[in-house]
Amino acid sequence: MDKQKVKQIVLDIIAEIAPDEDLSDVKSDIRLRDQLDLDSMDFLDIVMELRKQHGIDVPEAEYRQLESLDSCANYLLPKFEASATA
Amino acid sequence: MSDSKTIPSSVSSTEVLIIGAGLAGLAAAVRLAMFGKKVVLLEKHYVVGGLNSFYARKGRKFDVGLHALTNYPSPSSGKSSPLLKLCRQLRLPIEDLKLLPQSSSRITFGTSSLCFTNDFEYFLSQVEENFPKSVDSFNQLLGKMEAFPAYSVDAEEISARAVLSDSGIDPLLVEMLLCPTCYYGSARPNDIDFPTFIMLFDAIFKQGLSRPELGIRAILDPLNQKLKELGVDRRMNCGVTSITTKNDQATEVLLETGEVIEAEKIISTCGIRETEKLLNLPAIEDENVRIGKFSIIESIRVFDGHPRDFGWDETVIFFNKSDKFTYNCPETLVDLESGVICIPDNYGNQTSGKESKMRVTHPANFSKWSDLLEPEYKEKKKKWEQTILEQAMHFLPNGQKLLPQLIAKTHLTDTFTPKTIKRFTSHINGALYGSPTKRRDGSTRFKNLYLAGTDQGYVGIVGAMLGGIAVANNQILRSQ
Repeated sequence: MDKQKVKQIVLDIIAEIAPDEDLSDVKSDIRLRDQLDLDSMDFLDIVMELRKQHGIDVPEAEYRQLESLDSCANYLLPKFEASATA
Repeated sequence: MSDSKTIPSSVSSTEVLIIGAGLAGLAAAVRLAMFGKKVVLLEKHYVVGGLNSFYARKGRKFDVGLHALTNYPSPSSGKSSPLLKLCRQLRLPIEDLKLLPQSSSRITFGTSSLCFTNDFEYFLSQVEENFPKSVDSFNQLLGKMEAFPAYSVDAEEISARAVLSDSGIDPLLVEMLLCPTCYYGSARPNDIDFPTFIMLFDAIFKQGLSRPELGIRAILDPLNQKLKELGVDRRMNCGVTSITTKNDQATEVLLETGEVIEAEKIISTCGIRETEKLLNLPAIEDENVRIGKFSIIESIRVFDGHPRDFGWDETVIFFNKSDKFTYNCPETLVDLESGVICIPDNYGNQTSGKESKMRVTHPANFSKWSDLLEPEYKEKKKKWEQTILEQAMHFLPNGQKLLPQLIAKTHLTDTFTPKTIKRFTSHINGALYGSPTKRRDGSTRFKNLYLAGTDQGYVGIVGAMLGGIAVANNQILRSQ
């Protein structure tokens, strides 16, 4: 697992919950909200899908760690690594 | 031991139990099951959909609630339509609904009319043309509406009539704006709360009206399919006798069959008062919870050909005979003063068809209809049906002249009354939009018992489903 893979996982989830969004040119360092039509309901779904598909828990207080692909990668990578070794 | 109701025939348990398979209940069930919750969904009636269901007569299926699906994502409203959010949340591709947009619709008061389409600019031009002196005040009102936190759960439920009357727009325009918004979602007599007014104004005028090609089944069928795939335990013909509580928790539900289901969380979509009744507690009469009384009668004509054969091109016509809008529970069986005509076949641009429908809705009195015994009930229904369907012709171009032709082509008429609304919704008084008191966040005085649906205050098909989703998301999924 590396940051690139984590970003791809997040993008795959977004593609699933918002199939009408164009994800071909998402910038890693810009807030997802600022480049895509995503609202708080969609972010809840990213969290729910991370748990459902990958067993990763994101507490509500930390939802904002998911604001960009870069921050997702930084925040989620240790969690993925921890769950891989668990 | 003769009282079988006190002896549970069996006991099972679930994570979430949902009372009512209307659109709010269905949407909540899908959301929860999507994320692994064990869900039992109970429905008293034999079909799902609640108010937005359908019934069959002589081989034809009739939608009960659906005049229009609001919130059409028109080019001018773009991605802001809640309908798109809803489709995302339920993983229901919007293309699958095969939405047919409206042609145009109209609000007619006496001799004045305002037309609207799915292009908000056109509606603005109609206001300008018909109420030139009100343009500035109307624009200010629009600004005020945009600034008001209508979509927040704690929006203040002030009177829309008061706000509109104070806005300086023409008094007739006030009445004409209240008409479609009340008919599509007000539980209050002759008024609507301002936040709901704004949501419906956006839903009807800024976004727009459409209809799935297959009617309400285009929404119900895929939801049912999802419930099946997700393993939701859906039970039809399954009424609830009571909800048992202990301290500040709801613990289990007793079914009419005698079965008991224990649940960690319960979502009730049957209404504030109706849920309170199920609690079987010494009533804490909440003075602030008002009882809804507004109900309707609807007559339907099925005729050969297409409405456009008659030169009728509009989809929905809201009408009121005088300049003053009347919207309340009438003293008589039916109030003919105001009403709504829906011509579902005029969604989309088909110009021919084998068979079409015309639906005409009026306010009606639930208790007066309920008090009628057979055969008088049937007789009155037939008599009113004829009056309703004929009077509606006054509001269609050349309607009266074309009436004999239309009658000659008619092969079926049918009517449902407030009693039908009661059967489909279980609302006290057959109240179309439930109690005038709403609980937007779905909370109750019991920690794990939530309200969704009509009395949550998000109205219409889109509103009901988003309400169910919001309770599932905010009260259950988020808090785990």
